[in-house]
Amino acid sequence: MSLLIYGLIQSVILMLYGYGFSLVYGVSGIANFAHGGLYILGGFAAWSFMNYLGFPYAVAAVLSVLVLGLFGFGLYWGILVRIRGIVLSELVVTFVAGIAILEILAWKGLYGFYYNLPVFVRGDITLSGITVDYQRLIVLGAGALLALALRLFVHHTRVGLCFRGIAQDERTALSLGIESDWIGALSMAFGSALAALAAILILPLGVMEAHIGYEVVIYAVTVAIVGGLESTSGMILASFIIGFGQIMVAKYIGSSWMVIVPLAAIVFILAVRPSGLFGKFKELEERI
Amino acid sequence: MKTSEYVTRMVVLVACLCFCISLTAAHSAEPIVLGVPTPLKTDWGYDSANAIQLAVEEINAKGGVKVGAEKKPLKVVVADTRDMDPATPAHDALMAAEKIILQEKPQAILVGFGRSEVFMAGMDLIAKHKIPYIGSYATTHMFQQQYAKDPEKYKYLFRASADAIVSARAVTDALDYLKQEYGLGKVYFMPQDTLLSKGFNGVLKGHCEKTGWNIAGWEAIASDATDFSSVLTKAKDAKAQVICTFWDVAQSGTILLKQWTSMKIPALFVGFVVGANSPRGWEFLGQDIEYSIHTEAPIGSAIPLTKLPKTKQFVEAFVKKFGKQRGTWLTGASYETPYILSGAIERAGTLDPEKVVAEIEKTDYIGVTGRIRFDKNHQVPYGTDPQETSLCLAYQWQKGKMVPIYPPGIAEGKVLLPPWMK
Repeated sequence: MSLLIYGLIQSVILMLYGYGFSLVYGVSGIANFAHGGLYILGGFAAWSFMNYLGFPYAVAAVLSVLVLGLFGFGLYWGILVRIRGIVLSELVVTFVAGIAILEILAWKGLYGFYYNLPVFVRGDITLSGITVDYQRLIVLGAGALLALALRLFVHHTRVGLCFRGIAQDERTALSLGIESDWIGALSMAFGSALAALAAILILPLGVMEAHIGYEVVIYAVTVAIVGGLESTSGMILASFIIGFGQIMVAKYIGSSWMVIVPLAAIVFILAVRPSGLFGKFKELEERI
Repeated sequence: MKTSEYVTRMVVLVACLCFCISLTAAHSAEPIVLGVPTPLKTDWGYDSANAIQLAVEEINAKGGVKVGAEKKPLKVVVADTRDMDPATPAHDALMAAEKIILQEKPQAILVGFGRSEVFMAGMDLIAKHKIPYIGSYATTHMFQQQYAKDPEKYKYLFRASADAIVSARAVTDALDYLKQEYGLGKVYFMPQDTLLSKGFNGVLKGHCEKTGWNIAGWEAIASDATDFSSVLTKAKDAKAQVICTFWDVAQSGTILLKQWTSMKIPALFVGFVVGANSPRGWEFLGQDIEYSIHTEAPIGSAIPLTKLPKTKQFVEAFVKKFGKQRGTWLTGASYETPYILSGAIERAGTLDPEKVVAEIEKTDYIGVTGRIRFDKNHQVPYGTDPQETSLCLAYQWQKGKMVPIYPPGIAEGKVLLPPWMK
């Protein structure tokens, strides 16, 4: 039972890490290596709204998601729009932006145990003899709701359909009047907002340190690669495989081997199916 | 004005002038540079750098260090080695230390490397540059073993802080107390997968095996783990009554501690977790750390002890100048390192490293950590009597306060069990 409950929670945490990264890549083709930086920036924004401006937690959380959305939007129009389509430049710019955010935050003192986001509700519940705190259950519920909401968004809203149009074939979408830069900017905004949302849900489980961002981007890239870079469904499946894999490895082999699971998954998938579980990126080449 | 009054005034004036000139002379003399390459972004590194600054200001206020006939002020140069960041390679930390040695040409290195693996690699670097090094951060017991292999080569290296084994001893004694007073007898070890933590927990395990504890399990966990449910469930299933750990990475250690509370694991949490091991732990982590037992190594780092007034003086001076300490480890030992060095320089009457090293070996005085002297492996000995050795202590978080529970000579309270254990 413990394996099931905490395997689910770990999987949903990985899924939340991966959402923003997967969305941005799926829509605009940009591998946003600033994702980890945006995650911590989201958490820090919420903390700042609470501690510097005195906003209630709920308001601070909503504001931080909005601010990070705007930040992502600005990052696209300010920098990425000029190099859009030059894959190596996109990668370098997002990577450098991520490092800059994290290192500036570390330089400003975001390390140690001094920065904490509070849990939404304090307390716990015992399920079949396993005690789980409410915050982890909230993470679980929020992850499921988010998966549903994103699916409804991309299938039933005008912007979501534009996202899918650009993702499927940018030139055809352009010929139908969908402006790819606007959609690219919106995808960055959504991706950044999702990073902030993940931070607000997950960071209360521990403390907020700048270099957590490096781990977040590694996990986000891992679940995206294993699932298939442009496939959100693949990313979700990969999160569950790696999440349950980690908890099972911790239970049956040893906790120190948990960190090996994502790396082993990447190596395995790149050797067996480089496009990832649901990816179509190199499917044709793979067939040849 | 009477003649006598005039003469008195002139004498006072001349005395004041002489005093000012002597101060100016001391401060215009070439300073003795102290290099402090250490991971400054950690609580221990930050506190240690401040403690060094405090000691240096105290020494300079008294005119500086007497080198032969001349008094020289001390000057501190710090550098961030970042070696406690999980992503920093040992090579980068060594480069940061070598840079300060080559550029600033310090007469000694104080505090030094944080991560034990880096310190072990750095021993050769220090030996190469032949510069006195009084460490007070990295705590691996392998320092003494490495020193013993080639004392001539490593003679420049000393350590004022307690090693992991000594720090663990404060916990083993607390464990004995728990066994005796509360009948707890089953322990599960969860070390962080590092040399230091495994060394620390290894000492605890060895002690428990010898003293009749039932070992419910041992599982090393990666420093960047994000979930501890499996290992905590294993401890619960094994009916462990005590969980022992040592965790010096905040992001994961706090998750472990919070998950221990949230999963209501019916075992007392004993050892070390950064964050909970800080006077500011309650302020930032709140009631999640209540009932957990930690160590202060050495004493005089953050907890003012009623029975040892020197600890109180230092903690009060530190808090007055820098605010509350961040950690309960090392600060006291770091504070003493400029005093150890300046004493040795004054006795040697020169800055010649060979002579200074020989004098550091003869150090013997009572400081904030207890009695300070070096054994044959250049390690300050630790025990339970402040007149004989330096000391460590164990404390428990009780309603927001760090209550010393061991050793009995300085204890100020009894252990409380968490309600979900009763």
